[in-house]
Amino acid sequence: MTCTLASVAMLSGCATSSKEVGGVATVVETGRFSLPQYQTITLENGLKVNMMVQKEVPLITMSAVVRVGAVNDTTSGLASMTADGLMLGAAGQSKADIEQTLDFMGASLQTGADNEGSYISTHFMSKDLDKVLPIFSHVILQPDFDQTEFTKLQQRQVVGLSQQKESPRAVIGRYFNKLIFAQHPYGNPSSGNSESVAQLTIDQLRAFHQSYYQPNNTAISIVGDFNPSDMRTKLEAVFGQWQNTEVAVQADLSQALPTLTKSRVLLVDKPDAIETTFVIGGLGISMDNPDYVGLTVVNTILGGRFTSWLNDELRVNAGLTYGARSGFSPYSKAGVFQISTFTKADTTKEAIDLALKTYARLWEKGIDQATLNSAKAYVKGQFPTKYEKASQLAGLMSDMYLYGFNDDFINQFQTKVDGLTLADTERLIKQYFPQQHLQYVLIGNAAKIADIAKQYGEVTQISITDSGFGQ
Amino acid sequence: MTLDFQRFILTINDRKQLKGAKYETYANGVAVVGRSCGTSVVNATTAKDIDSFTLDNSMKIMVLEDSSIPNANMYLFWKVGSRNEVPGITGISHFFEHMMFNGSKKYGPKMFDRTMEAAGGANNAYTTEDMTVYTNWFPANALETIFDLEADRIANLDINAEMVESERGVVQSERTTGLENSNWRTIQEALKSVAFAAHPYSWSVIGYESDIAAWTLADLQQYHKTYYAPNNAVVVIAGDVKLAEVKKLANQYFAPIPAQAPPKAVRTVEPLQKGERRVFVKKESVTTPNVMLAYHVPATSHADYYALDLLSAILSQGNSSRFYQGLVDKQIATEAVTYMPMSFDPNLFYILGVANSGIDAKNLELGLIEQINLIATDGVTSNELEKVKNLKLMEFYQTMETINGKADTLGTYEMYFGRFDKLFDAPDRYNTVTAEDIQRVAQTYLIRANRTVGVLAATEESDK
Repeated sequence: MTCTLASVAMLSGCATSSKEVGGVATVVETGRFSLPQYQTITLENGLKVNMMVQKEVPLITMSAVVRVGAVNDTTSGLASMTADGLMLGAAGQSKADIEQTLDFMGASLQTGADNEGSYISTHFMSKDLDKVLPIFSHVILQPDFDQTEFTKLQQRQVVGLSQQKESPRAVIGRYFNKLIFAQHPYGNPSSGNSESVAQLTIDQLRAFHQSYYQPNNTAISIVGDFNPSDMRTKLEAVFGQWQNTEVAVQADLSQALPTLTKSRVLLVDKPDAIETTFVIGGLGISMDNPDYVGLTVVNTILGGRFTSWLNDELRVNAGLTYGARSGFSPYSKAGVFQISTFTKADTTKEAIDLALKTYARLWEKGIDQATLNSAKAYVKGQFPTKYEKASQLAGLMSDMYLYGFNDDFINQFQTKVDGLTLADTERLIKQYFPQQHLQYVLIGNAAKIADIAKQYGEVTQISITDSGFGQ
Repeated sequence: MTLDFQRFILTINDRKQLKGAKYETYANGVAVVGRSCGTSVVNATTAKDIDSFTLDNSMKIMVLEDSSIPNANMYLFWKVGSRNEVPGITGISHFFEHMMFNGSKKYGPKMFDRTMEAAGGANNAYTTEDMTVYTNWFPANALETIFDLEADRIANLDINAEMVESERGVVQSERTTGLENSNWRTIQEALKSVAFAAHPYSWSVIGYESDIAAWTLADLQQYHKTYYAPNNAVVVIAGDVKLAEVKKLANQYFAPIPAQAPPKAVRTVEPLQKGERRVFVKKESVTTPNVMLAYHVPATSHADYYALDLLSAILSQGNSSRFYQGLVDKQIATEAVTYMPMSFDPNLFYILGVANSGIDAKNLELGLIEQINLIATDGVTSNELEKVKNLKLMEFYQTMETINGKADTLGTYEMYFGRFDKLFDAPDRYNTVTAEDIQRVAQTYLIRANRTVGVLAATEESDK
């Protein structure tokens, strides 16, 4: 499950051209877009419920988010395995029965956990509401955590973690977060690693569920073709008796955040690699940063769209790669910024140097008015398409709950973009883009690129087949 | 994390990478099914919501007004893909897709993207074995800019030698990163070359490395002249637009582009396969063997398409599927998927299994084949059949949830079935499929003599 906001940060943009004079911001009309109306209610047990009616197709998305994720792991992978474990049977109904029942209706139910949230999301035809809702609630409230099914899932996950490393692109983000955050909870890969997942027990899952899956630690968002008052009655019937048991303990994630004092390179050796996949970056911003929208626009220019500087230089001008980009990934109390691309092993140095040189343009030349106007247009013009589907809207409301922002994120977005000036961009570049002590992850053939790696910082070399994602 | 821009993806030929995003996989293999009772479809799009007209130059344009967001899409489907290539220029259809962004008369190098993005728009494109599709997503008030940009590159593409050289590097990187990151792509490339002896589906859409390095400016110029004529395309526009405005702009920008003689037909018919074929690919970092099976099946326009598509879902869709129950749940495979592309000519029905630890390629292969043979011998239950019909109906609605899904699917149906409104007939076509039909197509097509087996592993099994 991905965080909607993070993906917005990676890929945004929007407007059409116009002129700006002095410090006055340009405004380009791209059509008005605001969040569709919805209701929020809080049940007596503290469960928050958002309901948004969308009748374009006869479908409903129902998504629950629990405020618990990999940052709460006591054994790496616990939050993720607990979320996946919800589907191993519930309220006495077996895993196979649940799956058969859902599949027969054409419905789906997915679970997962990321850094800070655990998610249970179901998509189904509106006519099947009364059949899906009990399963959805049983899975959340009364998972059986069947031992036999758990053992099978655990074994597949352990093998799956090794298989994922066959694709550098699939795992490089986990190595990078570990390099940046080390032992801080933001360094925990939500997947866990093959050794930690092998150690997990069903009792740990039960205890974790007991501690965190509680109504006052959860929000449910429903988007689609339904009657709100009927829905409210049905939800109260299935979730109204859900009791809080203990206070869900949350770590203070603002403590012990890393300070990066030197450049480091994590070289991950994959001997049969035919290309080098790499990430360069550092610390970013947290989700509540008031400059979030402005940074989205500036990043669009650097590496957030096809004509961005990074893609233009590395791909279009140099032909070194199929794509290069950059982006902020914000979490509640911290975040990362990264530039990412890949190239054949022989052009590794050329590509890294060109990425760094292009990044330095932020400080050396800054942004011109025409480029800013274009980025503002792009960010605004692409924004509505990110909130068109029921699943996207439900995801947005889950993020609102998890990260504590409100409708202004959507409804003030255009205004914030419109108001951005060149002077603002200069401040944002100075304040937020990491310029010193950059951190690098390179996945590739170490025999070919180890000498290159050491030119960028203190090198730690590991094998991609080592368990986990670094120290 | 997504490293690359989605632009210039080769095709949806890597289903494995789509795993976990089931409700977003409307592209290509979209299929529609429905049962006529019980569902309120008051607001869902129907065939009568779509207007279509044909310009004097034979370019067909479909329009769907939808004001749910202040945006619109324009999709251009061109009837040219790797199927139209010959050895020496393999991959050129896809390479040409890249060149369509690299400059024309009014909007020179880089200006297509710069102009579109400054107007709030984004774009992408994909090439398949059969067609090349250009996709534009933009605020609706940028509609005329999009028409202007597209008309310029259709009528007046300027193929610049310098741009060709840097784009070669991009496509080589695209080829490399696909092979580095996708086992599916690695094994499929080898398997296709064995499964097809004559037909151009034999090579991958991205083409051979040596051909990418070798094609000439003249090859590209000829390709544009041959295939990028308005009579070889269909266009779909969906979103917050008005039919009258679209007609006016289409007449202004697209109608003046002259039609040309239709391209030569693809003549080669793949000879009947008369025995199992095999291929092995070594990749040292593969942790457990991957086994791909491929069976020749008819073109999408054939009456058996719907039964085969439902068979595919019975085998692999959801955890109640045959493959999950028979292989994944039993710890033989960590995943097992099927893929049947829509296709102009007879093509392949793919199956990919990834072995669990301790399971060798042979056992995985036998396990996959056992599941297929069970359907051929014992058939499927009425419950299974009804289930996959419901799954298809759900997919249909999910497709119709966005202007993007609507535009892509309407054009896809127009291309593969000859008429976009077949999209809305599909529910009835699926509904007529019986359990006997499913068993019959399994017995007809999913047989050993018609099969190619590909194995991808770190080491080849010894002769002893």
